[in-house]
Amino acid sequence: MQCVQFDKTVENEPDGPLPADAILHLETCPDCRLLRSDLDVIRAASREWGAEELVPPPAIWVALRAQLESEGLIHGPQVPTHVQLGDSVGGKSWLTALLGGSGTSAPRLSLAGAGCLLLVASALLGLQLRMYSGNVSSNASSGGVLARVLPAADSASASPLLGLDLHQTLEGDMERVMASLPGQNASLAMSLEENLGIVDHLIAACEKSMREQPDNPAVRQYLYGAYQQKAVLLATAIDRTTLEDR
Amino acid sequence: MNARTITVNCVSAAGATMAAFLLSTGAYAQTHRTERHFAVEGKPVVTVQNPSGHILVKAWDKHEVMVVGRFAASSVEVDTEQVGNRIEVATHVGDPHASGGDTKTDYEITVPTETELQVRTDSGNVTIDSVHGDVSFDSVTADLALQDVEGYLAIKTIGGSTICTRCAGRMDANSISGNFQLIQPVMDNVRVQTSSGNILFDGSFLSRGIYVLKNYSGTIEVRFSSNDSFDVNASSLFGNVVNQAPVVPDRHQMRAPKYPPNGMAQSLFGSMNEGHAKVELSSFSGTIKILKRD
Repeated sequence: MQCVQFDKTVENEPDGPLPADAILHLETCPDCRLLRSDLDVIRAASREWGAEELVPPPAIWVALRAQLESEGLIHGPQVPTHVQLGDSVGGKSWLTALLGGSGTSAPRLSLAGAGCLLLVASALLGLQLRMYSGNVSSNASSGGVLARVLPAADSASASPLLGLDLHQTLEGDMERVMASLPGQNASLAMSLEENLGIVDHLIAACEKSMREQPDNPAVRQYLYGAYQQKAVLLATAIDRTTLEDR
Repeated sequence: MNARTITVNCVSAAGATMAAFLLSTGAYAQTHRTERHFAVEGKPVVTVQNPSGHILVKAWDKHEVMVVGRFAASSVEVDTEQVGNRIEVATHVGDPHASGGDTKTDYEITVPTETELQVRTDSGNVTIDSVHGDVSFDSVTADLALQDVEGYLAIKTIGGSTICTRCAGRMDANSISGNFQLIQPVMDNVRVQTSSGNILFDGSFLSRGIYVLKNYSGTIEVRFSSNDSFDVNASSLFGNVVNQAPVVPDRHQMRAPKYPPNGMAQSLFGSMNEGHAKVELSSFSGTIKILKRD
């Protein structure tokens, strides 16, 4: 076996047992031994990462809840437990949950409160995605990561990603932000909704590709970028609701 | 000591009517006009906050900022403020129920050439001509036209498109659905991203320049001349790459990006001439075109 063939073997079966000829090649080739050693280290590191649970300090959620309750954005006895970022597949759920409130006369969203939530959610999402960007294995661990970040579209159950159930904690939808836009600017609201649809469509496309190519880092980066675009859009919408207050 | 001026203007009906006939585009039945002058030194910073309307910013040689605002609604107020070399212009709407059309305000602002600009708007269009200071632009649907500007250009739009003609300096631009056109740019650092818009770069790639153009769908088109020298890395995961450049394997022994064997990516990786500039073109499902300029 030559080095090129060894590379292909490792590439096609990164976690499988090496065939006999590959093992023989390893004994005579220091470069391939080094490659194999590196892959073992990466695999071990990825398993450790996969075992970690990203749970922000409880104080963050307590402070967030107090802030949101003080603004009347949430109410009721429910205690935050999980985040359902994954329910965003093809829809607006995490964003709409983040925006909160279904009442039409509810107080205007606070930039501080909503922005803080946005920051926490997007930062943790980004961290989660980045953490696993180096995971080259295609074993169950990798699939598990994908499942946590991107649960199946038909899954209605909560996904224990970040430790906060925005669906249960916040009520509402995008209409609340739109209703808060200065002067009830219909064209502005229409544009934001239209672009929200574009971003959601892209996220759905990226998630579909992610399910089909779970080990493709480029797809993962595009998905991360699409979420960033959604965060930019949300920040802009919230920003415009407070434009007149400045 | 800094002079601070806060102005709220409603020009008399007679003067405004005359101004409307003489100066406006005829869109307003009755136009209010306000004009302010601010003496400045060095490189002033001018911020403009206007929800809707047309904004024209142009440069002149005077050490003075002139702001001319026109609006139709009586509920609209134009506030201007000067603190030293910082000038702020903001449109305020007294009636919170006023629709977007009612709040439309047009500005014509003339500034010293080296002025730094910060423009924030929702809809309408913005034209900036021959200003050589940094520009920050934040809009939702407003289109932006830049001509002969120079400096660091930070552009953020949601749906607004940008046309940049003979721009120099650096550009960092992001949009959701807006298009970007860079015509005859003289820029050594360009980073443009749009989700569903098109990107056109029609200019020279400067030596040591870095050009990063990215979208998800739509078309990314760059045009080169035979003298251009650049390394190119173009990849569309689920789209096409159309190339007319005589690219050879990368001269700098850089490793080509690797995609899983089951991927459908179309990619191009290599050098043209000496590879002095770095060009990265990436799309999720769009088409990338690297075309020879006529």
